[in-house]
Formats: sequence, structure tokens, C-alpha cells
Amino acid sequence: MTSDHIIFTGLNILLAWSAYVILMSGSLSFANGAFMALGAYGSGVLTVKFGLHLLVALPIAAVGTAVFAALVALPALRTRGVYLILVTIGIASCLRAVLESTPYIGGVRGMSGLMGTQIWHIAVLVVLVGGMLWWISRSPLQRILDAVREDESVARSMGIHTVYVKTIMFSAGAAIAAMAGGLYAHHMVFVRPENFDILVSIYIVLYIILGGTNNMWGPVLGAVTMTLLPEVLRGASEWRGTLFGAMVVLMLLIRPDGLLAFRIQSISARVMPPNREPQS
Amino acid sequence: MFFEQLLNGLVVGSMYALIALGFSLVFGVLNKLNFAHPELFMLSGFLTIAMVALGIPLAIAAVLVCVVIGVAGLAVELVSFRKFAGKDGHITAALSSLAVGLVLIDGAQKYWGTEPISMPGASTLRIASVSAWGISISWLKIGTLIFTLVLMVVLHHMITRTRFGRNIRATADSPDAARLLGIDVKRVNQYTFLMASVLAAIAGIMLLLRTGYATTDVGFSLGLKALAILAIGGMGELRGAVLGGLLVGVLESMAFHFGLGRLSDVVVWILMIGVLLIRPAGLFGGGGIHKETRA
Repeated sequence: MTSDHIIFTGLNILLAWSAYVILMSGSLSFANGAFMALGAYGSGVLTVKFGLHLLVALPIAAVGTAVFAALVALPALRTRGVYLILVTIGIASCLRAVLESTPYIGGVRGMSGLMGTQIWHIAVLVVLVGGMLWWISRSPLQRILDAVREDESVARSMGIHTVYVKTIMFSAGAAIAAMAGGLYAHHMVFVRPENFDILVSIYIVLYIILGGTNNMWGPVLGAVTMTLLPEVLRGASEWRGTLFGAMVVLMLLIRPDGLLAFRIQSISARVMPPNREPQS
Repeated sequence: MFFEQLLNGLVVGSMYALIALGFSLVFGVLNKLNFAHPELFMLSGFLTIAMVALGIPLAIAAVLVCVVIGVAGLAVELVSFRKFAGKDGHITAALSSLAVGLVLIDGAQKYWGTEPISMPGASTLRIASVSAWGISISWLKIGTLIFTLVLMVVLHHMITRTRFGRNIRATADSPDAARLLGIDVKRVNQYTFLMASVLAAIAGIMLLLRTGYATTDVGFSLGLKALAILAIGGMGELRGAVLGGLLVGVLESMAFHFGLGRLSDVVVWILMIGVLLIRPAGLFGGGGIHKETRA
């Protein structure tokens, strides 16, 4: 296993978590590839054109992306879930066109000169995000998120501001994706708009579906499997899309909750209805 | 020049409308998004080229492609929609059909390659044109518009005036009530997918005839726009899908005409966000599957 494998595995874990954070509040995002692009280009402009250090540029890009995500998604978050899917697909489709027609950041030809990502950057970020998710899963916040995901009107009747919760989680996911995107760009040295195609966002969502949607280890399993499987299996890298798609279709038919479908129960989270149906 | 662009917009818009109709039918009846739909649209172009290359006449090839894509649509229903009827079914079905779409696009890229492949003999179809009032219009565009119009009228008649259409509307309204009334909901779902897929196939063949080549990325670049049109016209509204499609087609060609270039692709999504802000039920609500009209 070379350092490249470690870096890409770490990045994919972060990306899977970024979509998982959004899914925790019941929304499905196909814009995480676009948020990655915003993080990549945002931090790239700051390091290349303004000479900032990568570790300073990343948080700025992440905050910027989070604000952008909240502003764009707010009209959709107020309505039914299916509209958010459409808006995120819209963000993904628009951003590529906008990036390609902006000469300042290289347009179609892309931007180069990005460097400085170390393995420890990614490791620290994985630990930080993982720790945050673990903390959430043991905190009362998890129950609020469960309520919003399972039944919004019930959650609202219990005094939970569902739009607020969903917006915060959407922004948080966008910020994580942006940081992963920034680290990705500064590892690749050279990025083009087509690196952040909508297909990237689809892969990110399917990582979670493969691994499991109801605890933080499912996305990890999905991301690690799909990053390393093509390296191990000869021929699998060529047929990656078909293999991955077929695996997800089969998985949804056989085990709709994903491979790792259980909730790590904590003492505080154990107060749940006894016959809670597993969500699919 | 301006009128030519307007006409181009209508032609492109009628293609959008056909794709959006397919999305809308499935969404109206099952309340689920079918993400394999754009890829069926993409596939139909390649299948037509493959059949024409085998020496089959274009007209017969088109019918065959409609049959094949229709059967593919039934397969998508079986794999990605039949099992997921529960509360979270709409997300599961969307993801499952997305995975099917991924398999289709990857398979097409492996078989036909990522470069566009061109249709033998397409150029002769495009050159034949008629001039009137100083604008020249190709017969292909006129044919496309008339064919789309006829198709819409037939579809509208089918949905609002026939027993079969009534079954569809009842299922769209409430599958449980429809089942209690003795409607075979499974069969209705299958017919819905069949119709939607055939519409996608027709749209795909239209695109192929107009541009003369097929590529694997039209599913994402054009097919997904139909989703925005769905929201602009109103989810599950058939009239909204048609009018929204035409509107977006015209707006896009206008944006291109006035020099927005590559950014004209953005127009449809901005329009969608605007519609969501001002009129979340869609611009052309009130004529959909759900609404009880005559018959």
C-alpha cells in the first residue's frame, strides 16, 4: 500500500462522511462533488494567487463553501425532500459550467501549482471528523437528528426547528467536502473542472449506501472497499462503474440498510421505542 | 436569425418535454424519481446507430429501439422499484435506479467508447430544408415538432379519456384505494414505466437525428435538465412537463443567442431555484395526473 492509496482512502472516507452528515438529517445530497470543487478552487486561489499557507486557506474555503451551501439549499430545505435532490443536482451541473467559463481560475484547462498536502493533514482531518461524528452519536443531538430524519412533522411538533437542523447539517457536510476537496487538489497539483463531475457526487452517495446508512462506520466501510477493491482485484478497476453499480443494486435488494446496518447504541441513545422499525 | 433560434429552442424544448414527461409519469404514479431514465435516453441513440449500421432501415430501427428501451424500462421497474414501497422507498428506489444508471453508462462507455460516434447517413436528413419568409427550416425540425405535438395529444387523450388512463390516475391518487377498487396496481406501474421509457427512446432518437452523433454524456448533460423542468412545471404535472420543457428550450436558445455561451446551461437551474422560491408547486400546476379532469 503506497502513500497514494492511503491518501485516496482517507479522502474518500472524508467525502463519504460529508454525505453521511447530510444524510443524518434525512437529506440526500448530490452536490458534494461540487462542494469539493469549491473547496479545491477556493483554497487553490488562496494558496496560489495570494500565497497563503494551505492550513490557513483550507478553513477559509470550508467556511465559504458552508455559507454558500446554506444559502443555496435554504429554499429547498424548507420544502419536500425531493426538491433538495433536484437543487443539489442543479448545483453540481451549474458549478462545472461556471468553473469552465471563468478564465481567472484557468477555465477548461484547469489550475495548476497546487501542492503541500501531507498524509498527516488527511489523518488529522479524518480523526477530527470521526471524533465529531462519534461525539454526536453519543449526544442528545443524535436523537434530534433521528427525529428529524424519521418524521419531520413529529419533530416539529416536539419543538425542534427542523429547517435549522437540516441547514446546519447540510452546511457541515459541505464544509467537510470542501476540506477534502482542498486536500485533494493540493495533492494532485493540477485540477480541472471535470475532476468534479456529477459522477463524483454520485459515487460519494453510493459509498454510504454500500456501507450502511445508519452509523458512522458504514460510510467508512463503503469508501475503503470501493477505493481499495479495484487495486486488489485485477480487472476490477476497469469495470469499476459497472461493478460498483451492480453491487449497490444487489445490496439494496438483499440488505436495504447496507452492509453495516446496526446502530452503536450508547447509554443516552438507548431511550428509543422498543419496536423501532429499521429504516431502509 | 432570431426566429431560427426561437424555432431551435422549440425543437430542443420538445425533446426536453418528452424526457420530462417520462420522469413526470413515473413521479406522478409512483411518487419516485427514476434516475435510470436519462441513461435509457442516452442508450437509445447508440442502439439506433448500431441497428442502422447492421443495415436495418431507420424507421424499423426506431420502432425496434422503442421496443428494446421499453423492455429495459420494465427491467428497471422490476429491479429498482417493485420492492421499495415503504416509507423510505422513494429514496431507496432513487438510489437503486441511480446505480442501474451507473451500470448502463459504464457499460455504454466500455462498449462504444467515450468519444461520440456518428450516425451513418445522418447528414442527408439534415440538409433537406424548406425556406419561407427568409428563414430556412429543415424538414427534420418540422417533422420533430409535428410528431411531438401528435404524441402529446395522443398521450393526453390516453390519460384523460380512456379506462387505462383512469386506472393510471387512480393509482397516482392513491395506490391503496386503487387496489381496493380492483385495479392491478403492479400492472399500472409496469405500463407507466413502459410509456416513460418509450418516450425516452423517442427523445433519444430525435436527438440523434438532429445532431447526427451519440455520446455517453447526454444522460447527464441533457437528461438531468428534465429533472429541473419537472420542478419548474410542477412535480407529476404532465402539462407542466410539456410547457416547462418548451419554455426551457426557448430560454436556453435565447441565452445562447444573446451570447451567454457555455453558461446557457445554467439558465434552467437558476429558473428552477427561482420557481422553488416563489411558487414551490411549479409554474403550470393544475393539469396533472392527480387532478380529476373529465372522463
